[in-house]
Amino acid sequence: MRIPLLRRSSRQRWRLDYLWDLLRSLVDRDMKLMYKRSVLGIAWTLINPLLQLAVFVFVFQLILRVDIPQYASYVFCGLLVWTWFQNALFQATGLIISSRPLIRQPGFPVAILPIVIVTTGLIHFLLALPVLVVFLLLDGVQLTPLVLILPLLNIIQFALTVSIAYFLAALNVTFRDTQHTLGVLLQLLFYLTPIFYDLSSIPDEYWYAYGLNPLVHLVTCYRQILIWGVQPDWLALAIISGCTAIALPLGYLVFKRQSLRFVEEI
Amino acid sequence: MRNGIVVENLGKWFSRFHAKKPVTFMEAAIAGLRRMKPVEQFWALRHVSFTVEPGEMLGVIGHNGAGKSTLLQLLGGVAFPTEGTIQVQGRLGALLDLGAGMHGDLTGRENVYVMAIAAGLTRRAVSRRLDQIIDFAELDGFIDNPVRTYSSGMMMRLAFSVAIHTEPNVLLIDEFLSVGDLSFQAKCLNRIADIKENGCAIVFVSHDAGQVERLCDRTLWLRRGEVVAYGEPEVVVGQYVSEMRSQTQQRTPSRPPQLTEAGSTLKVNENRFGSLEVEVSAVRLMPKPKIISGDGLVIEIDYKCNQRTITSAIFSVSLSQPDGQKCLDINTVDMGLTAVPLDDCGTLRLSIERIDLASGEYFVDVGIYEQEWSYAYDFHWHVYPLIIESSTVSKGLLIPPMRWEVASKDHVRNKTRNF
Repeated sequence: MRIPLLRRSSRQRWRLDYLWDLLRSLVDRDMKLMYKRSVLGIAWTLINPLLQLAVFVFVFQLILRVDIPQYASYVFCGLLVWTWFQNALFQATGLIISSRPLIRQPGFPVAILPIVIVTTGLIHFLLALPVLVVFLLLDGVQLTPLVLILPLLNIIQFALTVSIAYFLAALNVTFRDTQHTLGVLLQLLFYLTPIFYDLSSIPDEYWYAYGLNPLVHLVTCYRQILIWGVQPDWLALAIISGCTAIALPLGYLVFKRQSLRFVEEI
Repeated sequence: MRNGIVVENLGKWFSRFHAKKPVTFMEAAIAGLRRMKPVEQFWALRHVSFTVEPGEMLGVIGHNGAGKSTLLQLLGGVAFPTEGTIQVQGRLGALLDLGAGMHGDLTGRENVYVMAIAAGLTRRAVSRRLDQIIDFAELDGFIDNPVRTYSSGMMMRLAFSVAIHTEPNVLLIDEFLSVGDLSFQAKCLNRIADIKENGCAIVFVSHDAGQVERLCDRTLWLRRGEVVAYGEPEVVVGQYVSEMRSQTQQRTPSRPPQLTEAGSTLKVNENRFGSLEVEVSAVRLMPKPKIISGDGLVIEIDYKCNQRTITSAIFSVSLSQPDGQKCLDINTVDMGLTAVPLDDCGTLRLSIERIDLASGEYFVDVGIYEQEWSYAYDFHWHVYPLIIESSTVSKGLLIPPMRWEVASKDHVRNKTRNF
């Protein structure tokens, strides 16, 4: 009975073409803001993972000698997946507080904000993909039709990141140091994800705890289809998708509640 | 379908939290969870009912904390009512914190797209209206410059122009009319009148009672979340203003007459009004209280702040004739000085470049008001005389610099030949 008519008028806003326009313009804004003032512009998207790659290759091929075939492709693939995940989560966490004017706009679909950030990350991922292909070819990898599963992996990672982002952004309203804490935690998680080392070096007794990190499986799946040309770990993908399907609507609700509370509290 | 707003028995239960409510994990761990509970709960709004028909404008007045912004939030759907119902029909537009969503590194054009789409237009609709928006904001040559190069007036104009071009059926306005210069303000007001005429229902929140009286068809007066009065603007605004005056009188303490430096007597409730929490301790007219029309005048106001808790105030100065007719009436807020910070005692100086008034006797009236205009701290009425002399005889009030010229026919012909 409460505000039924208000709901009707705001449903107008849920037209897909409008949401698409909104997403496009906000992503466009973020991309422009990111690169407007730097000379190198969009090249930064590549420079960062390439520099990291150079360091890893130097340390683990020349100093420590990790024995992984096609090491450059192996690391770069992991780095791209990880960078997308990490940047999106870190930026999304401060979202509610930095977007106050938008949230105060009557009828603004707040839930789109984390999606905007994850989409921006996806675009960067896609822009870096050609470079990955170059590495694959240099390492002598034969691309198989299994590469076509890539969009599915992207969708799963997208949904997973958005659901976690919803929770973190909501938490940041109550505890403003969530973002700083997250920075530290993400750095730790980076080492607990097989970016520059091999999964086979994980001792069996630790495997169960280690395997709880969904990124472990995601990164592996990406490598399975891109480098090794084998079927991805479908069971892991199914479990991750299942958990995301539960977490996404929950996170959405929490995020929505917290963003309203934030606006009210002022 | 009819558009408009219908609000019935609206109530909003509000929690205020401990000022030291932990905001980080660290603090929460140290302070424990007990500070997470609200320290105070109250009705920010209660029993509020009103209707705004299409083509009608409702003014909402009240002091700070009266529930005005809460009402706007509820109407905008960014907060939910605890009780009662709100029906808002049609496209909702808002003029809230104008310009807050702009990004300095983006150009005006890019900002227009982001703001207008966020306000509910599709990309196509924005493209269609883009020229109108830029035109209205008077930013033709600047629209592709980054917004950080704009003056604050330009930014406001752009933000206002975007908001107004979303063609809302219901419009919420939060004290916007300090936008830009006077001519642009007039343009905004005209535009709002147009929108209203086309059937838009408008809610206008302000603490400028005069503005509400001029613009609105109905007025709602809120105090501590409750409706004090609702009806015709003249009546409600009249009540509101007279209450402010009587509040000032109630707060005026009794005190023996005082002498000013110039020798006039100050008597409470006769020529001096206010709570005296902040006092006007002296007023100096310089170079002297007798000037020649066209001269400049500097008015120095010494104040004494008796209450440590008061940190800022509004100052006003007016020039009036002995019969009370005002020739000049200004204050710090309207001239852009939103809060004058107060020390224990200090001086505020107003420099007037020239005063072109006819010869005669005038008074300089000086006042210090509470930061939200709630009541006067100290107001000295007809205490400081100012004599203006002039050699020009004029029956009116003004003697600007002027001269007569007899334009001969030759002169006119010469001019035309020059062309």
